[in-house]
Amino acid sequence: MLLKINFKSGLPIYLQIVDQIKAVAASGALQPGESLPSIRPLAEELRVNRNTVAKAYSELESLGVIETLPGRGCFLKENHSALRKEVRRKLLTEEIDQAIVQAHHLQVSRDEFLKLVHERLNALDDKRRGHEGPKESQKKEEVR
Amino acid sequence: MNSPTLPIQIENLTYAYGSAEAVRDLSLTIQPGRCYGLFGRNGAGKTTTMRCLLNLLRPQRGQVRVFGLDPAKREVEVKQSLSYVPDQVVFYPWMSIRETLDYLASFRPNWNREIERELLGRFGLDPAQHTGNLSKGQRTQVALIGAVCPETDLLVLDEPTSGLDPIVRREFIEAVIGAYQQGVPGRRTILVSTHLISEFEGLIDEFTIMDRGQAVLTLDADHARERYQKIRAGFAEPVPEIDLRAALRVRRDGRDLELIVNGGGAGLLERLRQLNPKRLSTESLTLEEIFVATLKA
Repeated sequence: MLLKINFKSGLPIYLQIVDQIKAVAASGALQPGESLPSIRPLAEELRVNRNTVAKAYSELESLGVIETLPGRGCFLKENHSALRKEVRRKLLTEEIDQAIVQAHHLQVSRDEFLKLVHERLNALDDKRRGHEGPKESQKKEEVR
Repeated sequence: MNSPTLPIQIENLTYAYGSAEAVRDLSLTIQPGRCYGLFGRNGAGKTTTMRCLLNLLRPQRGQVRVFGLDPAKREVEVKQSLSYVPDQVVFYPWMSIRETLDYLASFRPNWNREIERELLGRFGLDPAQHTGNLSKGQRTQVALIGAVCPETDLLVLDEPTSGLDPIVRREFIEAVIGAYQQGVPGRRTILVSTHLISEFEGLIDEFTIMDRGQAVLTLDADHARERYQKIRAGFAEPVPEIDLRAALRVRRDGRDLELIVNGGGAGLLERLRQLNPKRLSTESLTLEEIFVATLKA
């Protein structure tokens, strides 16, 4: 798992870590039960404050994406949403609305937009299939 | 004032060397667990401010407190509660690294030998070597080991990486993150002054930009990157007339427009969008770019 911080994105650093780990999990590059890097080496590698990484991990934990086993570290959870279905739908709706607004400004039509959504879903499926192979081997996935 | 839980409080600090005012009416508060950047050009007053915290200088007006204590009255307690890496590192040249670290440890109630071993190995330093034979980078590394091992709750770094090569700078920052911050999470506080801002970008939680002795901007780093944005627009025709007073800086060249905004970027972006630009993009400013934009404005 290789994360990358972009200081020009305007997103808080801890949220970039949260988003990228969620993306890695969704793509299957990180499988349930696999461990996440510990806070110290990740902070050193990204050259960010350890408190920032700790904040990202606690956010992921409260979202139900990862769990912390005392003395053993952080692991990706099996069924990773602790939120009720309608809450999950609502959260996703907000994100979709933003994409729709963006599509309007970029003059992407309704049909094109829906086609693009299908394409992206298929691309994610392909990625997941690619990761279903050897489970224990070292997996590395560059995120953006 | 005088809160024992706050690592640093500075209120209306003023200090002049003769008639030359180095720090004028500076106030800032550093919360525990934060990494606080003091940014400024050479001569902005960063070192003078730090020296007042260490009782190397006495404030002429205003006051400073370290964990609620006045450094001029409670010097020993203040110095026990913090570690300091000065801008010019000087050791006794006839001492070896080993002797130097033992000498520094003799002033401290606590000294983490394990971290000392780890950092000596990481920096590839030979403890038997005399400090007089060390390069500038190696002397800074020894000073950092001396500052991290006592495991104090406050680390004060004055331009720690200036004049060092990029590899040593990198290792320095990683050591600060790894070795110093490994204590009780959220407790260890860092105050770092620097003009090499990009090096510390990821580490900084909050910062103050100083200019000619005064604080010109204090912000949370994430918040700053959200507020300060660079907007670029490209038009098919020469750039149309538009009210750009909200922008901090405007550059135009024929059909291209580049703006730097401090907040209010969304409104300006919307107005630009209505002019149907061919290209329109935004990105946040890095802390270094914010520093430059603030001092040039």
